Amino acid sequence: MAEIEYVRPVNLKDALNFLWNHGEDTKIIAGGTDVMIDVRSGALDKKYLLDISRMDELKGIELNDQGLCVGAGVTLSEIYSSDLLESNALALKKTAYNFAGKQIRNMATIGGNVANSSPCGDTLPALSVHRAKALVADKKSTRLVPVEEMATHAYISSLSPKQIIIKFILTPYQDGFADFQKIGRRRELAVSRISMAVFAKKDKEGRIAFLKFALGACTPVPHNMELMEKFLTGKTPTRELIWEAGGLLAQKMIEITGRRSSTIYKEPAIQGLFMRMLYPVVK
Amino acid sequence: MIKSQYKSIGKNIQRRDVSGKIKGDSQFCADIELKDSISLKVLRSGRHHAVIENIDVAEAMKIPGVLKVFTARDIPGENLMGIINRDQPLLAHGKVRSKADPVALVAALTDDIALKALKAVDVTYTDLVPLLDIEDALAENAPKIHEKGNTLFTRRIIKGDAKTAFEDCHSIVEKQYKTLAIEHNYIEPDAGAGFVDEDGTLVIYASTQNPHYDHQEVVNMLGVEESRVRIIQAVTGGGFGSKLDLNVQGFIGLALYHLKRPVRYIYTREESYLATAKRHPFIIDMKTGTDKNGKLIAIKMRACCNTGAYGSYGIAVATRAAVHGTGPYQIEHVDLECSCVYTNLTFCGAMRGFGTPQAAFAHESQIDIHAQKLGIDPLEIRIINGLKKGSINGTGQKLTDSVGFHDCLKSVKPYYEKASKDWVKQKTSPFIKRGIGLGGMWYGIGNTGVQNPSTARIEIDLKGRVTLFTGCADIGQGSTTILSQIAAEVLGILPEQVRMVVGDTKLTANAGATSASRQTYISGNAVKDAAEKLASVLLTAGVNKLKVSKSMLEFKDHCIRVSGNPNKSVDFAWLAQRIHAKGGSLSWQGYFDPETIPFDPETGQGTPYSTYAFACQLAFVEADVLTGEVNVKKIVAAHDVGKAVHPENVIGQICGGIAMGVGFALMEEFEFGKTESMKDYHIPTCADMPEVIPIIVESDEPTGPFGAKGVGEPALIPTAPAILNALNNALGKRIYNLPANLERVLKASIESGHFSPK
Repeated sequence: MAEIEYVRPVNLKDALNFLWNHGEDTKIIAGGTDVMIDVRSGALDKKYLLDISRMDELKGIELNDQGLCVGAGVTLSEIYSSDLLESNALALKKTAYNFAGKQIRNMATIGGNVANSSPCGDTLPALSVHRAKALVADKKSTRLVPVEEMATHAYISSLSPKQIIIKFILTPYQDGFADFQKIGRRRELAVSRISMAVFAKKDKEGRIAFLKFALGACTPVPHNMELMEKFLTGKTPTRELIWEAGGLLAQKMIEITGRRSSTIYKEPAIQGLFMRMLYPVVK
Repeated sequence: MIKSQYKSIGKNIQRRDVSGKIKGDSQFCADIELKDSISLKVLRSGRHHAVIENIDVAEAMKIPGVLKVFTARDIPGENLMGIINRDQPLLAHGKVRSKADPVALVAALTDDIALKALKAVDVTYTDLVPLLDIEDALAENAPKIHEKGNTLFTRRIIKGDAKTAFEDCHSIVEKQYKTLAIEHNYIEPDAGAGFVDEDGTLVIYASTQNPHYDHQEVVNMLGVEESRVRIIQAVTGGGFGSKLDLNVQGFIGLALYHLKRPVRYIYTREESYLATAKRHPFIIDMKTGTDKNGKLIAIKMRACCNTGAYGSYGIAVATRAAVHGTGPYQIEHVDLECSCVYTNLTFCGAMRGFGTPQAAFAHESQIDIHAQKLGIDPLEIRIINGLKKGSINGTGQKLTDSVGFHDCLKSVKPYYEKASKDWVKQKTSPFIKRGIGLGGMWYGIGNTGVQNPSTARIEIDLKGRVTLFTGCADIGQGSTTILSQIAAEVLGILPEQVRMVVGDTKLTANAGATSASRQTYISGNAVKDAAEKLASVLLTAGVNKLKVSKSMLEFKDHCIRVSGNPNKSVDFAWLAQRIHAKGGSLSWQGYFDPETIPFDPETGQGTPYSTYAFACQLAFVEADVLTGEVNVKKIVAAHDVGKAVHPENVIGQICGGIAMGVGFALMEEFEFGKTESMKDYHIPTCADMPEVIPIIVESDEPTGPFGAKGVGEPALIPTAPAILNALNNALGKRIYNLPANLERVLKASIESGHFSPK
């Protein structure tokens, strides 16, 4: 293993300065739950490890004029116990319930989960449901990037080496049905084989008035599955309708990825998990 | 309640190892830091099957900090290991038979230098045809992996005339079952350390289940006097069978022999996964027949296990699978066969149950299928067929004592009946199906049809202090505590007053392997024998002093006294001094070897074990019909252990066995060449653990120490069959391949028509 120099700037400004000069040679580390695996295996081929885990600028969850802001350095444990998320982004909060195990949740950050660009990143579906945008900064500028555009391919981030994610700005949703569900090979500490998040509201007649949905772990980069929104909005959710929607979703996944050996399982399981998740909204 | 006649046996005393483990004081092998120790790393072949044309170490030797690169030619003694059949070289000689085969051993000042040197060793190979599964290995014209051919061994058990008997059977079930390789996945990595002491002895700390076996192997490999090698078992964090084979002991011995400097070697998890033994994958074809009442009449089994590149314990695994193929049931006509075949995969060896968990998956599925076909309750059919006192098993052995299978069934019955009536029928979600299932098992204690003695030595010093010396490796299962209880019971002292010297070949007596659930029964008896010999001389000395006959004396509080009379007593110190003054011995050796009769080579008839453990588990399972997820809610586990020397320890074994059984049933799949570490191998976490209701059944074993048998492996064996039977009960569709993973359960759900929005 080559020697890697550990750097911990005191504030965001210094961090962005450092990246402006050394970004190409630097790997950013927050919770380290992904990066340390590469450090151990020797796969990390960088000169510097830039630790941003203690920066106040990346912390905090708040609801303001911009929307529901979740700092990139917020840990999954903080998400797990946030009251603000309980009432404004319950699907994201529920994501934390099934995220790895407690030790990992204590360290892992939402920014790291997105920046790692794993197709199986558990925070992606809920962020997508909330139409989240990442506030991304380098030394000279900031810009807002929709969370679906944060990865170009599996494990390849669209961030430039000079950039840091500051926070995510979510559209808050209240008083509806929100959920996150995943399937893994065991009940905890398992990479998602399939994950999904939803927010839905019904009108007085019991029809679906509003729905946002996202599928995780099945496609190389996140897709906000707008077809689900189109298909279900305005309809009365029956078991049959939800079942049909789940079938459409599975077809959409196959359209994106093509048929693979895992499709034999994922095709029915996507339909099944969608049914199970949306069952509470069935009238 | 009857007051126990025992003072130490049956008591939940504090385990010997808890304080060290809770405080973090225990020194596992990887914790042992010897001053100025050097590093070892092994170069592994990375090819399935190849001839080694040349090994060039010149470039590696030029790297500063490299001390030596060893190859097979540096081994002064015999370059072969193996407890049953010797076929595994420490360093490959002539050819490699799996990707894990060690080709060269680097000794260097640091790990980093050693790793660099591995890359600089230049090996020239000529590849041979790789044989990766049983079919390939048995194909005509398949190259021979070992000179004697690719079938290592076949065990047959033949009784009666199964072929004819099937003709009269009312219900016949014939199915194929498959299980995969499993990684032991003990939390402590394989590791070792060593140094040369002032007398020139090579001292090796090992993470092992059998220090005295390690000693013989290293002595043999180095061609030195026995006294030149000393194996000390460090605190060992689990073994489950894998640490019956040598991991790093041979490499450390070789380096010590040549370099005479302190050395250590810690496997990474990846190296542990790649290079240490696995559970044998099995293919089992089983045919069973019953009469119209569900009584089993005949069984035919053809099983084959893949032992990979080396035999290790493969012969024992195949033998056990054959013997245990009938399950805990009396069957008159028996035709069982199990073979063990070499392939070019990492070798498979011992793992908790030695082939019995695989066989149990088959026989417990079979008996449930019969029950279903005949409309008999699954519990009832087990009662109809279960072994009992006087039954004759498949090897023609009459079971005379301690056959607690029916007691286990009886213990589970109230839970089973209640669950059938309400739990199974309660509605939860529309997409959850509930089911319950039974798993029965029997398990022979000790090695199969061969001598497997244990010895122990007990000493009293002139201050009256008692020390027990045993080579019995405590790998976390608690044998050190158990053996102290047994010695204490005989001598009327407290278990904590017995000083224990364990697992150090310079000091201890060979107790054989910590395997085959044998230590409580066999080493327990050896300890009891030693303690009784000491007790006898103490009593004789007591008679002299107290002037009453032996029968009027009792052991109490480190003294011998006239029964019930505290005023007429004499303490151990006085007695020891007296014996010593008279020239008597203060050190006594105990010995026990269970009575077995070797198999008839043709028919497999014999007495493979002197006693058997029995169990029945009941699994409560919820299956998600939409996703294939399975939640094991509860396991009721009734185990006949003879006598529970330490009941909480027995419960601990049961819970641990169930955890492992849940993994075997639902998620563990080791794929050779793919599975690298815990990142891609799933063992259950606490979130996957069911509630466990342990029930200890005590069916006294007259030859056991205070009636005890064993529980280590039995704890695991019925779990997967019970879960799989429960899944069948839930889904109405049976799964024949383990594990019952997401894919298989969802497929079963779809095929049984449960996968729907209703």
